[in-house]
Amino acid sequence: MIKKLFQIEKIKALSYPAFKTLMIIHFLLFFLVVLVVSQVQFSMSGFSIKKLYQFPNIWEFFPWVASWFNLFLAVVVILLVGNEFSNRTFRQNVIDGLSRNDLVRGKLILIFSIAVYTFFIVFIAIMLFGLINSDDYSMSAIFGKSYLLLIYFIQALGYMSLGLLIAVIFRNNALSIIMFILYFFPIEPIIRWIFESHTRRYFPIKIISNLTPMPEFLTMTSESTITNSSGKSALDLQEMGLTIEPLPVGLNVGLAVVYIIVFIAITTYLLNRKNL
Amino acid sequence: MEKILEINNLSKNYGSLQAVRNISFSINKGEVYGLLGPNGSGKTTTLAVIMGVLNANGGDFAWFGQALQKEARQKIGALIETPNFYPYLTLFENLQIVAKIKNASEESINNALGVANLLKRKHTNFGTLSLGMKQRMAIASVLIGDPEVLVLDEPTNGLDPEGFAEVRNIIQLQAAKGKTIILASHILDEVEKVCSHVAILKSGELISNGKVGELLTTEDIVYIQGENQDELFTVLDSIDMVSRVSRLEDDLVVILKKPYTASELNKLCFEKGFVLSKIILKKQSLEAQFLELVKK
Repeated sequence: MIKKLFQIEKIKALSYPAFKTLMIIHFLLFFLVVLVVSQVQFSMSGFSIKKLYQFPNIWEFFPWVASWFNLFLAVVVILLVGNEFSNRTFRQNVIDGLSRNDLVRGKLILIFSIAVYTFFIVFIAIMLFGLINSDDYSMSAIFGKSYLLLIYFIQALGYMSLGLLIAVIFRNNALSIIMFILYFFPIEPIIRWIFESHTRRYFPIKIISNLTPMPEFLTMTSESTITNSSGKSALDLQEMGLTIEPLPVGLNVGLAVVYIIVFIAITTYLLNRKNL
Repeated sequence: MEKILEINNLSKNYGSLQAVRNISFSINKGEVYGLLGPNGSGKTTTLAVIMGVLNANGGDFAWFGQALQKEARQKIGALIETPNFYPYLTLFENLQIVAKIKNASEESINNALGVANLLKRKHTNFGTLSLGMKQRMAIASVLIGDPEVLVLDEPTNGLDPEGFAEVRNIIQLQAAKGKTIILASHILDEVEKVCSHVAILKSGELISNGKVGELLTTEDIVYIQGENQDELFTVLDSIDMVSRVSRLEDDLVVILKKPYTASELNKLCFEKGFVLSKIILKKQSLEAQFLELVKK
């Protein structure tokens, strides 16, 4: 059944012009950014751009850069699911013999496949740039932080499953994309702002975006350049959501997985309950 | 006889609107069952509920004696309302999806496209087809996997007379193969020519169902004039061969019971002492009977 659903999703996605275009844009933007940054000549005490392209730092830097473009992946999912409603093909698929749960399974297979694709794209880029720029080729240096790519994979699943949920709620491409972006900013930040700082860390976008935090050395550099006369940071970067909040990685990943499961559960419930 | 579909007290509401109200009927194997009713009578809603795309608000239904399961779905080819396909995919790609869902071979795609006369267009995007071609594509998709049951909702929508006849032939051919066919239509002629049984819906309610021949018969109507019309009216109203008699301008309109004929009526009038100066035989149209049924 999984193979059948995969083949069906493959036909639907690969012949869809917007899917191909967005995936190519995603690929090009990621490679363009890492290529352009690699050409920047910048160094200060204890830090140089080249360090970002060396093992093991590259395992933090590349997934962080790739995570900027996860929105594209979520938009791809929203378009593919929204089309199913606007063309009434979800309805036809059920008439032809798929169950409503199969519809969800099919889209989860699609999401998983896109996440695997982007995982390998980033992995290949890391190996390529890392091997060219590194000085230390020991196994511990090369693969020491490779688990960060798996966390990036979970993040991609998180954004896309949220995209799936929003597309199932709104059933319209334009509205779903607008609501998805609005949820990122300002809806969730405003809701977070209402709560105490301790609670703010547990909101879905916060949890999922914190999976690929800005690499630590970048954070330190940024903060040291933006200080006031008293020596304190002029901008509360943590408050702005730009820095790593002190939530343990394991807990962050666990909560992200819980959110993904919740998104999928709500999607399944809605698709079973609503008319097609 | 094997029951293919059984519907019990099925209801479906859209907010405060009751689209289907406590409908019950059953369909046996090999029947060509028409769902007849004017627009908005609940035909499509009924079919959408029994195909699982709308959730019922009350009652239940069983396909092959069970709730709608995946196995049952694979034995049914259905077209509900409009043809729904991916506009950016070719006809072949769209039918590939249907074939995969139904575990049918790719060969059946070409067969279905051949039957629907679309083989030459198999690599054309669905979105570029005319309305009539889209409808034929929907017929092709229904035939994928050679299903036991065909559910067709207004299958001749948007077709020209030639396409209309083609679709009718396809349905009759499938019926001749012993398939069970459920055909929803507001076109009486279509139902009369194709169906063995019919259920008539009005405002979401089932107002009548049975064999087409029993429900929609062509009665003989005789328009007569003679001397002493009032007395003739009284006599005709009391005799057994007349089902109904009424006045229409200068004529008396007599509806005869089966199997009586106009000449037998003429003979009877003569025997009773009435010489008829006018006698014209007409058949009551099915449309008239259908409209009479839905007006009740």
